[in-house]
Amino acid sequence: MAECVKVCTANFGKGAQDIEVYKKLGGYANISDRLFNMSQFEVIDYVQRSNLRGRGGAGFPTGMKWSFVPRNSGKPVYIVVNADEGEGGTFKDHFLMLEDPHRLIEGLIIAAWALGSRAAYIYCRGEFLPCIESLNKALNQAYAAGYLGENIMGTKFCFDIFVHRGAGAYICGEETALINSLEGQKGQPRLKPPFPAVSGAWKSPTCVNNVETIMALPWIFSHEPEEYAKMGTPRAGGTKVFCISGDVKNPGVYEAPLGTPMMTMINDYAGGVVGGNLKAVLPGGSSCAPLTAEECAVATMDYECLASMKTMFGSGAMIVINDTHNMAELLNVLGNFYSHESCGQCTPCREGTGLLHRILNQIVDGKGHDGDVELMQSLSGGFGGVTICPLSISLGGPTSSYTAKFRADFDELIAKNPEHAKPRVQENYRPGIFW
Amino acid sequence: MSNYYNMPKLPTENSPKVEIFVDDKAVMVPGDTNLLEALKAVGIETPHVCYHPFLPVSGNCRQCLVEQEGPRGRMLVIACYTPVAPGMKIYTPASSARVKNARKATQEFMLVNHPLDCPICDKAGECTLQENYMEAGQNESRMRPEYGKNYHGNPAHQFVDAKGQVRGGKHVDLGPRVLLDEERCVQCDRCVRFMRTIAGSEQLQLAGRADHTYITTFPGEKLDHEYDLCVTDVCPVGAMTAKYFRFQKRVWLLSHTPTVSMDDSLGANIWLDHADGRIYRVMPRCNPEVNRSWLSNTSRLAFQNFDKNRLPAMDVHTPAFGSGKVALVAGGTCTMEDLAAIRMLKDSLGDRAEIFGGSLLKVGTPDGIAMSGDPVANRAGMKLMGFADVADFMKRASEFETLVTVNADLFGEDPAASSVLEKINCRVALTPFDDATAKKATIAIGVRHWSEVQGTMVNSLNILQKLNACPVCPDEKLEPAFQVLSKFAGCKLQSAVEAFKKVGEYASALAGLTYDTIKSTGKLLEGGEA
Amino acid sequence: MREHIQGAVQFVANNRLKFDRPVEPIPALPDPAETFGHVHKAVPQPPTQEVLAKLDTPEIKERCADLLSRYPVGQGALLEVLWLVQGVFGWVPTEGIRWAAKVCGCAPAHALGVATFYTMYNHAPKGKFLLQFCRNISCAIKGAQPLIKYVENKLGIKSGETTADGMFTILQVECLGSCGNGPMMLVNDDFATDVVDGQLKMKRGTTLTEASIDRIIDWCKAHVNDMPKHDVLGGTVKGHGGHPGAPGATAKPQVADYAPPSPVLNVKAEADENGATLTWKGAPEFTKLVVEKKNGSKWAAVGEPGVKDKAFVDASGKVGDVYRMIATSGERTAKPSKEATATQKPAPVEEAK
Repeated sequence: MAECVKVCTANFGKGAQDIEVYKKLGGYANISDRLFNMSQFEVIDYVQRSNLRGRGGAGFPTGMKWSFVPRNSGKPVYIVVNADEGEGGTFKDHFLMLEDPHRLIEGLIIAAWALGSRAAYIYCRGEFLPCIESLNKALNQAYAAGYLGENIMGTKFCFDIFVHRGAGAYICGEETALINSLEGQKGQPRLKPPFPAVSGAWKSPTCVNNVETIMALPWIFSHEPEEYAKMGTPRAGGTKVFCISGDVKNPGVYEAPLGTPMMTMINDYAGGVVGGNLKAVLPGGSSCAPLTAEECAVATMDYECLASMKTMFGSGAMIVINDTHNMAELLNVLGNFYSHESCGQCTPCREGTGLLHRILNQIVDGKGHDGDVELMQSLSGGFGGVTICPLSISLGGPTSSYTAKFRADFDELIAKNPEHAKPRVQENYRPGIFW
Repeated sequence: MSNYYNMPKLPTENSPKVEIFVDDKAVMVPGDTNLLEALKAVGIETPHVCYHPFLPVSGNCRQCLVEQEGPRGRMLVIACYTPVAPGMKIYTPASSARVKNARKATQEFMLVNHPLDCPICDKAGECTLQENYMEAGQNESRMRPEYGKNYHGNPAHQFVDAKGQVRGGKHVDLGPRVLLDEERCVQCDRCVRFMRTIAGSEQLQLAGRADHTYITTFPGEKLDHEYDLCVTDVCPVGAMTAKYFRFQKRVWLLSHTPTVSMDDSLGANIWLDHADGRIYRVMPRCNPEVNRSWLSNTSRLAFQNFDKNRLPAMDVHTPAFGSGKVALVAGGTCTMEDLAAIRMLKDSLGDRAEIFGGSLLKVGTPDGIAMSGDPVANRAGMKLMGFADVADFMKRASEFETLVTVNADLFGEDPAASSVLEKINCRVALTPFDDATAKKATIAIGVRHWSEVQGTMVNSLNILQKLNACPVCPDEKLEPAFQVLSKFAGCKLQSAVEAFKKVGEYASALAGLTYDTIKSTGKLLEGGEA
Repeated sequence: MREHIQGAVQFVANNRLKFDRPVEPIPALPDPAETFGHVHKAVPQPPTQEVLAKLDTPEIKERCADLLSRYPVGQGALLEVLWLVQGVFGWVPTEGIRWAAKVCGCAPAHALGVATFYTMYNHAPKGKFLLQFCRNISCAIKGAQPLIKYVENKLGIKSGETTADGMFTILQVECLGSCGNGPMMLVNDDFATDVVDGQLKMKRGTTLTEASIDRIIDWCKAHVNDMPKHDVLGGTVKGHGGHPGAPGATAKPQVADYAPPSPVLNVKAEADENGATLTWKGAPEFTKLVVEKKNGSKWAAVGEPGVKDKAFVDASGKVGDVYRMIATSGERTAKPSKEATATQKPAPVEEAK
């Protein structure tokens, strides 16, 4: 395990919530004449050269995203920080905001300079009240120190940051749902186009970025962009904050360069698998396809390798599963989660996730029948690419891959039903008194 | 649903035609609309639930999927939100198994939590789900009772039925005119969009999320709006039902007469749905230029009084019009044919007769949906035919010795102002109803109501629209007003066609037109201002 | 017989009576929930006056004004105002939703849809200590369900229920974003895996166990009267001017020329026998471009490429010439680009056959 440059987690455990400590650690050094002498275009070019890709899950190049934002539309430009971290297994933003709120503020000032934004909103999920408190405390200090507000450091530049507390909806992590929620509507994803970069919050150009993406900016700007790009893979620069959870000795947040082998992450950083042998790893949060132990041995943690293995890098949230667990039971947990968190807009997702969960319940309760797995596979095929947002695929994908890779687990549970071989029959389905 | 969804663009006659490829065949379609409308224009029906041509597109039912050739291969897209682009390549179920399966899957999902109660559902027969099922349905159900249903419904209305299944609310009293069946709702949110965007009063909302979503008003508030019955029209399933029509008639037993509502000068296009000699309901008839798909409750529920308090037919000879001045007053619901017959009567009486038209009711303001606020439906037609306003007559009422009112209830509309009319000796009233004017008249003659006659009218947008006779006349001896009047004039018109020829003679803007040249959506009169 | 027919019969001899069935009003059907019993008990709502009186305080007014100043449209503050309501009552009564809608200027039904969409708004009173257990995948792997069963048995209630003394409510919720400490719980608004030094703490590397749950519940019982109070919105921020144009906001909008105009980036010059070819990266706001060539110690303009051009050829250019470009954006002239020295253009590589 090589010692890695800490881009986002450098100030962990150093009390950087206080602005004085943060400044002593080199914070806010970027908010200086060097930035103020750069044009918007230069800043975006700088980020493009750093090869920074969005850390929220989709991995879209950040500089390119910024370059899409029209800068003379006559409308205000909003930056919205996506801190609605709700994907199972992801908890990096929680600790990033808790430990180092000023880095987020500093990154936001840089982003606002690049985009000409006047106001930014940090959409923080409702459960993270400690983070919101930490952020608000930091914002108070930043306002008092003159880093925010009107005419920052004597320039013509004005910028405000507001923290918006969400109220419990996983789907608000989707950027258009997040914008709807910010506007005080239900957090349901919007039809695209128009994309938020052109018409987002209040019909204005809006740039939605993950917490970690923004927090990487201060480091990039205090170094050369090529230095950051060098750390990662050719197509995605820099380090990544990985969240390792599940059956490992030391679960937690670890920063490592992109392209680190998966087994290095598990064994060297997280202390190895406990409680049994490695059975599967979900490399990018709960909605991705699992990798079996054999696949884990060759996988590296970056966007391309995992995409080639028909799973995804996502937010870098590794969930390690040992061989004491039954994958069908875990899929039932996911079914519960996604059927509960579906926003209720698109028919396949609204009705289908609930149905899959009910079928899984039958299997887990020992009432499964032969053919249930095939029905689930067929139903999850109906999710593919037909809904506004990918939430339905987040359950449909795992359903297909779990049943394909760990079919024995499902059969084992179905075999608990003594009558599993008998086909389910349509019994005399007499309707009730009130139709 | 976001507040920012836009209205769909509908094709018009002037739409530019572009070439697209449907199932690898080149077709010319309107270029300024969405794919669903474009395919419809060339005769390819796409099943849809949430899309409505006069509501903002929310694209949540996912039923109208088609495949589009794109840079990343063939992708499934929803036809209702995909704009037509020249040269685009589209694949429908006719050639693409993937589209067929995707629609089938969506249809199956839509029915997962939908009750199977078509036999007692009021919407059966005109239900979107039934129609879609015939095309894209999963013929053999794969759902089993053990999987259970998760009926949508307000927790406050949920109950456990005799079989132990948790059920959603049935016949929930949503407001004075609308009942809601929460189980049948498919969350298309058409009613929400209608109330927010069209009615401008967000009284309905989808509460909850996932498959616990249910339609509701704010607790303790009722759905109450002039257009609230439109939500029963836009509801694709039997969730929203109108109290007045609930359980009155199976819809496939109804016959439909296309006509025009004469309650208002916009002349909302309507269907009179009738069976066994009575009207059961009034439905809006789509006319993009006039009332789109909307109809006010006033116009919709007016039919309940069409057959009440009617005057019987009376076989009268021509009344003695005396030798003094005669006032011929036409009411708001007179068709063009009636007006022509009044002109004939005036001509036969010579200079001593004068013609007036209108009503004593106040003129309101247009609401921008389906009402112009003017109770005189054919006011534009009266202008064309050279009728003076009834207010002139009221000022000079004492000059006249005879008053003939046609469908004009002057006494009922303004009893105080009309008291001067009692000094006129001879008062002839031609009216369908036994109203105040008929009661005060010296001779009251029953005529057919506008729902029972063929005719034309010109609405406030100067569009000539056709009325058709609905066979619900309570007494077959009743005649249309124009027949009675032309008989008085000494030259009885035998049919509406004949009367319409007379209209052409009196109003140059209508000269040369026949009923056949008037489309069902009417004909815009050019320079019709008389 | 219909009334109009009744009247008509007196006059009309040959009247055909068509309507044999009178229109009857539809009798009201019994509510099935009344017959079979409600699944959910109706939540008793506090009186309207009481709700409005509790919300009519100077602090709440001040908070609402602050929130409304942050968003260009009042509706943006709806989630936060609903949080304020929940902060006062511990849950959101129906009248509180109506009040929030009024504050934010949106329809009450809209606010109801929002308040029921998000799961953190409680629609019924909860116990003093709301214990929210994560049931998502990471915690499930580490044994969340046995722990939840343990707590349920210990408190004698099921998930979603409140103890008879109104102390505890157990909820199973989705991912709490602390998977590294799974199984995980929230005690009201605090993440907790254990009690350390008399305070609820979530320390790195610690997870919830049966023993630590016992300690946490004991701690809760001991702190009924001095519960840690959190501001529902995590405190106030002083110093911001709000969103420009929002009601009560004092902020001014961003000026268009707050940043210096963009220079031309990535200027490259390559020369061959046809002259020197310059390539660069252009910003969208350029309105004019000038290419200059170094002549001794002075710069001389050699041409003006179009703003959309991708390349510029200086016919007299040769290897070693030094170029720079100056861009103009509207009325503002940017600083010159970096100097680029022309290099030999590599010969085009012929494709191997």
